[in-house]
Amino acid sequence: MINALRWLVFAVAAFAMNFPILVTLVTSFKSARELSTNPGLWVYAPTLENYATVFTVSDRLNIFLYLANSVAVAALGTLLAVALALPAAYAIGRGRLGERTLLPFIVNLRAVPLIIFAIPLYMMFQWLALLDTRLGLGLILTIVNLPLALVILVNAIRDLPGELDEAALMDGATRFQILTRVIAPLCRPAIVTSLIFGFITAWNEFLFGLMLTTSKAVPITVGASFFFAASGGGVQWGVASAVMVVGALPPVLLGLIMYRQISGSMTAGAVKG
Amino acid sequence: MTTLSQRSPSSEFRLLATPLVLFLLVFLGFPAIVNLIYSISDVSFETLRQPRISGLSNFAAVWNDSAFWQASWFSLRFGALTAVLECALGLFLAIFLSPLIEKRSWLMAILMLPLMVAPALVGLMYRLVLHEFAGPVPYYLWTWFGASFSFLGPTSAFWTLIVVETLQWTPFALLLFYMAYQAIPSEIVEASAMDGAKRWHKLWYIELPLMAPTIVVALLIRFIDGFRVFDNVYVLTGSGPGGSTASLSIYIYEAFFKQGAIGKAVAASVILFVASFAVLYGLNHIASRRKGAVK
Repeated sequence: MINALRWLVFAVAAFAMNFPILVTLVTSFKSARELSTNPGLWVYAPTLENYATVFTVSDRLNIFLYLANSVAVAALGTLLAVALALPAAYAIGRGRLGERTLLPFIVNLRAVPLIIFAIPLYMMFQWLALLDTRLGLGLILTIVNLPLALVILVNAIRDLPGELDEAALMDGATRFQILTRVIAPLCRPAIVTSLIFGFITAWNEFLFGLMLTTSKAVPITVGASFFFAASGGGVQWGVASAVMVVGALPPVLLGLIMYRQISGSMTAGAVKG
Repeated sequence: MTTLSQRSPSSEFRLLATPLVLFLLVFLGFPAIVNLIYSISDVSFETLRQPRISGLSNFAAVWNDSAFWQASWFSLRFGALTAVLECALGLFLAIFLSPLIEKRSWLMAILMLPLMVAPALVGLMYRLVLHEFAGPVPYYLWTWFGASFSFLGPTSAFWTLIVVETLQWTPFALLLFYMAYQAIPSEIVEASAMDGAKRWHKLWYIELPLMAPTIVVALLIRFIDGFRVFDNVYVLTGSGPGGSTASLSIYIYEAFFKQGAIGKAVAASVILFVASFAVLYGLNHIASRRKGAVK
C-alpha cells in the first residue's frame, strides 16, 4: 500500500519536474496547423517538418554553426580546465601547496556571481580582439569549469596512498614524471568525471555566450533564442521546440549515460568542498 | 634523503601550480583591477582607455538607485525562497522514495534529467508551456476550469519564476539528500529499531540530525545559485514590469549593455564582489572552526 503511494509520488514528481521538457518534445512533432487547434500533450499527426526547418540554413539562422560553436567552446573550456587543474591539484593534494589560500579561493569562485567579472572581461576581449571568437568564449568557460574540476581532482589525489609517490621518488622520478606516469593514470575516473561534468556545464552556459558573442561564435543556448524571433509574425512554436530539443539533447544524453559519475561529482563540491 | 631535499620538492610543486595561477591572474586578477579602477572613474564607451578618476560618485549613484535595492531585494528573496522550497521538497522525496530508488537506480536518472538541461533553455521552454495560445497549461486550465491566469503578469511573474527555478533544481537537493541518507550507517538505524523507536522518532531524532550538515550545505548552495540567477529569468521575463523581476545579475547586465552606464555597472559589480567574498570567507572561517572544535 505504502509502496503504491511511493510510486504515485515518484510519478507526480517526475512528471512535474520534467514537464517543460515533455511539452517541448511533444510540441516539436506538431505541425503549425495542429498546434493552432491542439496545444495539449498529445500529437495526433506527428511530423518532422519542424526539424527540417531547424536544419535548413538561412542567412540569419545556422544551427550547424551554433552546434559546432558549442562543441568547440565546451571542448576547449573542459580540456583546458582539466589540464590546468590536474597539476595544481597534485601540488595542493600532495605538496600541500596553497591549501589555505589557492584552494579556498578557487572553491569560493564557484559561488561568486560571475557577472562581476563580465564587464572588464568584455572590455579586455575587445582590446584583444577575442570578442565573438570560439577561443575567447572557451577561455571563459575554463574559468567556469575550474573550481569543480579542482575539487574533484584534489579529492581523488588525496585518496591515493602517499607511498606511491615515495616509491617513485626513490627511483629518481621527478614530480612531473610521477604526475604523468603514476598519478594521472590512477586518477582516470576522476579526470573522466570532471571532463563530462565540465562539458555539460560549458554546453549549458548562457550568460557569457550572450555577452561575448554576436554572430560567428554564438553557442546553441544563445542561438536557440534567435529562433524565437525567426519570422515576422509570432513565434513558430513547433520550430522553436525542435531547436530546443536539439540544443538540450547532447548534455541530456551524456547525462543519462553517465549519471552515476555525474551524481558523484555534483556532490563532490558540496560534501567535501 | 639528501637527494630528496636537494631536489627541493616544494619548488617542483610550485612549478606545477604555476599555469593555473597565471591563468587566474590574467582572467580574474586583471578584470578585478579594471573593475576597481573603473568603479572610481568617470568613464563612457568613448573614453574607455582614458578613465578619469572621479572618486566615489559611481558608488553614490548605485547607492541612490532604487533599482539597485529592488534588485538586491529580489535576489535575496528569490535565493532564500527557492533554497527553502527546493530543500524541503528534495528532502521529502529523497527519504520517501529511497526504498524505490535503492532497487532501481534508473529512477534517479529520470529525476535528475532537468539538471542536464541549460537553465536558459528551460526558461525558453516555459515561454511555450505558459503561452496563452500554444501553451498546454493555459489550454488545460481553459478546458477544465473555463479560466486561465496571466502567469507572467506584474503580480504573478515573481511566483512563476520561483516555481520554474524550484522545479528545475529540486533534483539537485534530492540527489544530495539521497546520498546523505544512504550514507547513514545501518548499525545506527538497526540499533534504534531494537530500541523499538517508532518511524517518526527514528527520522526526527536519528536520521535528520545525521543529515543536518548536508542540509545546511544544500541550503547554502541553492541560496547562492538562486541569488545570482540570470539565465532563466532573463529569457522569461527580463527585468520584468518596472524592474520587478530584475536580479542583481540582470541589473548589472542591463546597466552595462542597455543603458551604457559603465561606471554604475562596474561599481555594482565591485559591491557584489566584496560582499560575496566577505560572506564566503566568513562561512569558510565558521566551518573550519567547527571542524577544529570537533577534533
